[in-house]
Amino acid sequence: MIDELARRFAAYLAHQWSDASSIVVTAIERIYGGASRETYRLAVRYRKDGAEAEQRLILRRDPPSSLIETDRATEFNAYAAFHGTSVPVPRPLFLETDPRWLDRPFFVMEEVVGAVADPKLLAEPPYCDHLDTIGEQKWGILGEIARADPSAIGLLDKLAAPALDACWRRELDYWEHVIDEDELTPQPIVRAAIRWLRRTPPPPPRRLSVVHGDYRTGNFLFDTTGRIRAILDWEMCHLGDPLEDLAWALDPLWSWPDRERPGKLVPRERALAIWEQASGIFLDRSALYWWEIFASVKGLAIWISSGREFADGKNQDLIMVLASWFPTDVHDRVLVERLIPKE
Amino acid sequence: MKPEVDFVLQSMMVKLMGEVAPAVGDAYVRSNVEVMAGLLAAAAEEYDRAAHVRAEENSAMRRIFGDAAASLPDSALRAEIDAAATEAEPSLRVSDLNRANDRLRALLIELHAFVETRDEAWARRINRAIWDELRASASRRAISFYPL
Repeated sequence: MIDELARRFAAYLAHQWSDASSIVVTAIERIYGGASRETYRLAVRYRKDGAEAEQRLILRRDPPSSLIETDRATEFNAYAAFHGTSVPVPRPLFLETDPRWLDRPFFVMEEVVGAVADPKLLAEPPYCDHLDTIGEQKWGILGEIARADPSAIGLLDKLAAPALDACWRRELDYWEHVIDEDELTPQPIVRAAIRWLRRTPPPPPRRLSVVHGDYRTGNFLFDTTGRIRAILDWEMCHLGDPLEDLAWALDPLWSWPDRERPGKLVPRERALAIWEQASGIFLDRSALYWWEIFASVKGLAIWISSGREFADGKNQDLIMVLASWFPTDVHDRVLVERLIPKE
Repeated sequence: MKPEVDFVLQSMMVKLMGEVAPAVGDAYVRSNVEVMAGLLAAAAEEYDRAAHVRAEENSAMRRIFGDAAASLPDSALRAEIDAAATEAEPSLRVSDLNRANDRLRALLIELHAFVETRDEAWARRINRAIWDELRASASRRAISFYPL
């Protein structure tokens, strides 16, 4: 099946690269994870201007059903917007919605070669020797995303721009609706958290920022020298309050059970200082707390949704069960710890 | 005697992680095998405690309802809470316990929303009891093996 995909992809490239010939996919492998898209790594050989050439590509194809319902154009546009800026991203090449090529919509980007994303590798040499370096870049780049002017990078006309005082409500409404639609059993902890969020809304941000939507350890590529080479997985990118991204990245899930080093990198206070400096945004701690509660609610909505997709038979990928069981357990515990009335 | 189910599941996990996964050349398939192993470990833990966790949780919610019913103003909610407080489990099958658990949790959500903003001693007491039970529930259901 994967060979057939390679053959059809080569035909697509021949359609796109009219100045190239003899296009052959010489290697293809599916990358694990990425429950919202099927992701493939490909090596392509071709002839151009009389010479042989090779290119490494990443193909992201819509699955029949996904963990997160997103428009692939959102992700492609985010790559296009940030490519060539201080926020490293892979170079996007093609966005294709015509199903005649690969049955479902997809996009193609250049592979960032010689870099990995697996958070478990951070515990091993040589990566474990570069945790501070990686951490400083991680929080600095997140600050750069928050600082970016959506208009200047061409995203203002591609993403909905909520009123400043509607940022929190739009996100909370959306994810509460996901829970309403997808919960398999009543969820008293997340419901209590949602009521708390509605009773104590955060102040509006000073201005709209680009929000990556899933910025965390695991969604960026780093190399053996500790350099972050690319920020990935922009499918939930939107405009909103930059604290949403900061809180999501700080969530205890990404370093569980360690609470001191969010995302298994630098200590929390150091991370906040780096972000504050890079973003140029004064950090309102009580607003951040609201967004941290929201982050766990959003997480639970995604895990609940993945359980529903699997239970309904729409997506039988076992990562949907993994996402349903383990992170739900963690986020329930995190929310109770944070919201239980203090004696 | 036969080996117990949780022991078998754990043994399968060890086999998958130690022998099968390393022998699989395709990285995507190998990751799938590792995920299966992680799920088996969690399933083994759940096998032993599933009925106990649910029965304990249902019983705790009924105790809260019994306490709340005496103080709740007369209403449809009070009638439901009162009835739920005295229900008995139809059986110890997990599916039966789950059905009761779903009904009780739905009621707990309603009761929680009702008491949490009321500034009366009984409401504060029930609110506290609900939070204590939510904490206990999260802890009871916690998966000790964390593969991520």
